[in-house]
Amino acid sequence: MDFPSSLRPTLFMTGPLGLNDVSDLSMCSWQNVLTQPEAQPQNLKNGALHVTKDLLWEPATPGPLPMLPPLVDSWEPGLTAQDLLFRGGYRYRRRPRVVLDVTEQISRFLWDHGDIAFAPIGKLMLENFKLEGAGRCTKKTTVVSVKKLLQDLGGHQPWGCPWASLSNRQRRFSILGGPILGTSVASHLAELLHEELVLRWEQLLLDEACTGGALAWVPGRTPQIGQLVYPAGGALDRLHFQEVVLAPGDNPQFLGKPGHIQLQGPVRQVVTGTVQGETLLAVRSDYHCAVWKFGKQWQPALLQAIQVDKGATGISLSPHLPGELAICSRSGAVCLWSPENGLQQVYKDPETLVFRDSSSWRWADFTAHPRVLTLGDRTGVKMIDTQGPPGCGLLLFRVGAEASCQKGERVLLTQYLRHSSPECLPPTLHLVCTQFSLYLVDERLPLVPMLKWNHGLPSPILLAQLLPPPRPGCVQPLLLGGQAGHLQLLHLAGEGVSAPRLAGPPQSLPSRTDSLPAFPLLEPKIQWRLQERLKAPTIGLAAVVPPLPSASTPGLVVFQLSVAGDVFYQQLRPQADSSPRRDAQPPGDTRPDCRAPTASWTPQDTAGCSQWLKALLKVPLAPPVWTAPTFNHHHLLGSMELQREEGVVQQPGVLREAMAQGRLLLQRDLGSLPLADPPPAPESGPADELSERLREAWAGRGAAWWERRRQARTSGPRRQPRRPKRRTQLSSTFSFSGHVDPSDGTSPPHSPEGPPAGALPRSPITSPSQELTPDAWSQGIPSERRQTLHDYMAKLPLQRDTPGHAGTPPSSQASSTRATHSRQHTPILSGSQHPRKKPRMGF
Amino acid sequence: MSRAASLPVIYSAQSVIGMSDFSEELKGPVTDDEQVETSVLSGAGMHFPWLQTYIETVAIGGKRKKDFAQTTSACLSFIQEALLKHQWQQAAEYMHSYFQTLEDSDSYKRQAAPEISLQHALYLLHHGMLEDAKRKLSEAETWRHGEKTSSREILINLIQAYKGLLQYYTWSKKKRELSKLDKDDYAYSAVAQDVFNHSWKTSVNISALIKMPGVWDPFVKSYVEMLEFYGDRDGAQEVLTNYAYDEKFPSNPNAHIYLYNFLKRQKAPRSKLISVLKILYQIVPSHKLMLEFHTLLRKSEKEEHHKLGLEVLFGVLDFAGCTKNITAWKYLAKYVKKTLMGNHLVWVQEEWKSRKNWWPSFHFSYFWAKSDWKEDTALACEKAFVAGLLLGKGCRYFRYILKQDHQILGKKIKRMKRSVKKYSIVNPRL
Repeated sequence: MDFPSSLRPTLFMTGPLGLNDVSDLSMCSWQNVLTQPEAQPQNLKNGALHVTKDLLWEPATPGPLPMLPPLVDSWEPGLTAQDLLFRGGYRYRRRPRVVLDVTEQISRFLWDHGDIAFAPIGKLMLENFKLEGAGRCTKKTTVVSVKKLLQDLGGHQPWGCPWASLSNRQRRFSILGGPILGTSVASHLAELLHEELVLRWEQLLLDEACTGGALAWVPGRTPQIGQLVYPAGGALDRLHFQEVVLAPGDNPQFLGKPGHIQLQGPVRQVVTGTVQGETLLAVRSDYHCAVWKFGKQWQPALLQAIQVDKGATGISLSPHLPGELAICSRSGAVCLWSPENGLQQVYKDPETLVFRDSSSWRWADFTAHPRVLTLGDRTGVKMIDTQGPPGCGLLLFRVGAEASCQKGERVLLTQYLRHSSPECLPPTLHLVCTQFSLYLVDERLPLVPMLKWNHGLPSPILLAQLLPPPRPGCVQPLLLGGQAGHLQLLHLAGEGVSAPRLAGPPQSLPSRTDSLPAFPLLEPKIQWRLQERLKAPTIGLAAVVPPLPSASTPGLVVFQLSVAGDVFYQQLRPQADSSPRRDAQPPGDTRPDCRAPTASWTPQDTAGCSQWLKALLKVPLAPPVWTAPTFNHHHLLGSMELQREEGVVQQPGVLREAMAQGRLLLQRDLGSLPLADPPPAPESGPADELSERLREAWAGRGAAWWERRRQARTSGPRRQPRRPKRRTQLSSTFSFSGHVDPSDGTSPPHSPEGPPAGALPRSPITSPSQELTPDAWSQGIPSERRQTLHDYMAKLPLQRDTPGHAGTPPSSQASSTRATHSRQHTPILSGSQHPRKKPRMGF
Repeated sequence: MSRAASLPVIYSAQSVIGMSDFSEELKGPVTDDEQVETSVLSGAGMHFPWLQTYIETVAIGGKRKKDFAQTTSACLSFIQEALLKHQWQQAAEYMHSYFQTLEDSDSYKRQAAPEISLQHALYLLHHGMLEDAKRKLSEAETWRHGEKTSSREILINLIQAYKGLLQYYTWSKKKRELSKLDKDDYAYSAVAQDVFNHSWKTSVNISALIKMPGVWDPFVKSYVEMLEFYGDRDGAQEVLTNYAYDEKFPSNPNAHIYLYNFLKRQKAPRSKLISVLKILYQIVPSHKLMLEFHTLLRKSEKEEHHKLGLEVLFGVLDFAGCTKNITAWKYLAKYVKKTLMGNHLVWVQEEWKSRKNWWPSFHFSYFWAKSDWKEDTALACEKAFVAGLLLGKGCRYFRYILKQDHQILGKKIKRMKRSVKKYSIVNPRL
């Protein structure tokens, strides 16, 4: 093999990372984009640079498109930073610090799961309660009469009412129970909760489980047909095999329903490879690994599955020997695995390679030598000879001064660039990705990266794929995928004796959220749901170069898999090179390189998106895991039912049902509106008034008309023209706030209570007394609840005689009954969407 | 109210009351938690570039960066985005604003200025604008802002070395001119003088840099060329030896290759060449010079060199990138036969021992037999010979090739069959 005849100048420093932050210039970025001047610099002009010019790609659509026919599973966005972080106290800090919000979480837990939190202690304290015999107070101060206590609490809504006033008896009870409650519950619970929160937070910062990606392409009988293999099914435990037909220049066709294999655990990584005509599929779950072989009919047949007790972190297929794999586990062990010969441990060290790091993530891959493996962890990459004495090896990459690593830099992904084609890149290159940079390391020159590029991706790179050159003699595209959906396309060149380099400027590809405009206009809540879905982390990436029919331009299809199980694809085509040479342009013309974005959505694309959206909306949201006990409303409704007239007798029933389910009452629940009160058309009032006025004015009776109007306005108590408008506004708010409500226990966190509060006028406190006639039904209802009830009533067209009543928007209290339980899953709402209530305790 | 129904109410009452107590209890732990949390974030050592956005999404009224710094960082991210989406004009507009940061009073930013000059120079260099690049480098050299730290010293060295490299280009151009000129030409002496002047400046510029540990291939190459030109062979050899053997330097294969090529040009003795290539063999056993190394070893008189020659060939063919190297296979076929004929069966067995469990499926599978024969019959023949020698005549690869009927290669295959029968290590003649 050739070795680059002249390497790029690099300063070599040994030592810890962060040493040469400033003098990181021997690796400066220009240098990597551009080639080093060779002996005859003038040759370069029509050499390397020219080749790369015609190989820039552009997306054929402004964003990726969903796979059709749609297969959509239910999915819940997990915890966000808002759920975990403490939101106060930053003001006076020099630098914002991250503090996990244990208090908030405990508070929520105690509110939502009070029975779980306190029942055991209640049992312990049983002797301190006097359940019966109200009589006179006992002299024992350690016994509290429950009956009295209950009486004191009688007027208060126990759930969710932090302003309940305390009686002396309650205070006594509080003093009595304080020490016990304080120490045991708080300390135990807080400890466990804290542990959990730390874990969740770390997972949020870096979820390494899906490193390597869970989406793979299996070539089929003909070059046009292949299969996508990926996990789906909510829990990602069903392995799908979707047949795809690639037509050059056209969208890929997905044939029928995918075949599937049900597995025991969630699939984290899917790898496929073809060696000597034998196609294998390897799958990694948290504690299991399995390998399948594709037979003559392209049906997968299981070869072997193994259990990894300590947890598998990486699996890779040998590019050299059929049926050989490398797996590594959290224990620090690396094994060669072949279904024929079983497992062979080649390395084991629980410690990290270069310096101590708490992460137990390990990664194993192959090298150009079939008997040498690489082992990667957060601190470096080592080459180990499986035939040599155990434990020895050579460091290939070191997170340190050698590669001019920054402080806090860690390896996120390491990959042997196995699919390099010999005329383009040597088969000895390894890709190492950190949070900041991408390194290309040649195993023949360890420790000194051949290329360093600051990728600048704002999310962790956990996916990478090197593609074959789309045309012979072309540069090789390297696709990088960040967890948050960012995609970057680089071009690698480095044939023969020239050092590997980036050819052409790196490109960022559209992410799934860029496809939002292709979807139809939606109600905000559904829009939000769609947005959440599109924002789901990317966990798989597969790119295919469709076969080239003669005289056709090459294409590139990028498939991506989200953690929700959605497969999206993006077609890329070579950029039409409008201006062959920059110098050829007249000097005044500054636009030669500013290409107008040519990609746009076709009707076919938008139709596909709508189809997919329909499938998404059909998926019911997962039911709530736990529902908070609701206060007794039967009594309340009963009295109301009795006293209302019979005409709308079915409506309280509907209301009751809605309340029992803890959701808003919708227009459609009530059926068609009573005919007696047809909804006034929104524009009819003002328009009529205007036309009327014009007509009168035209006839010369303008002044008279105005006089009539004025009188009518001052005498009549109701302002007819304005109300319909408000009413329609309100009903539309309800319909969108409640459209997906039926199973809304775990709705997306940001909109469980409908539209942003700022969009709605707050109901004036005085309005109920003004607008509500003190009906008989409201008597006997505690005054605090009247507002609540009133708001529920507001959504019913019960009070025909007072249409203005409907104009009262839902106050925050109206939804608080619902909010208490819907929040327990998605405890914290984004500040922008929803004005946060202050945390109720601890501050 | 029944008792069962009343109990939840009691507990809920506890929750109301207990909560106010907890607030006191929890205040302590929470402040402790801060330390724990920050250790979760920074103590573990890993830096998360995306952490900042997480914090920003959680509404905080924390202290912001200086307005100016904020603007520039925002500007920078805009530039980056525009560049990545290939919106050049937009990027250029942002860039225009960003250049103002160079006027920043921040000392760190000023320190970056020479670096930018260097990068600009490299860009010019790349586009063949040598004169402009030279001017830019001279400018960069005179940057005098900030303290003179060790990293700046390296930077200045690097800038000077690049200047030296540019001078080398001028020099080699002049040298070419000189070679075209007649010695009696009146212009000759002027040009010659020019050449000498340049070389002197260059040697000063480059030699300081290449003493520092690093990869300095282009500098070393041009420096050595100039030294060689002026007959300073010892100087050149010293530079190259130092570059190859100094332990502070990374194990750069090119250092050994340059030294080897230099020694070859100087017609150094074979033993010397072998000793240089031996080290290269340890670093890069797959290098194409290994075949040359093998030839040298084969020609050597020492028996250990003969053994090493076999090892080298096996070593080359271990690598994925060399499997189709017909020369290597040809050498191996010949040499294995020769070794076996020379009664060194042990040597072959020793090499084969560590390979026998993976070479058959790596090189000699049925799949390869078919595809090799289809692509390159000559390669298939060489491989089949080796397969036969190492695995015996029952080997699938060998049998497949044997079965193929080929007019031109027929004779060769027959000869091969005979040799395999005679020398194969599977049935060693006892």
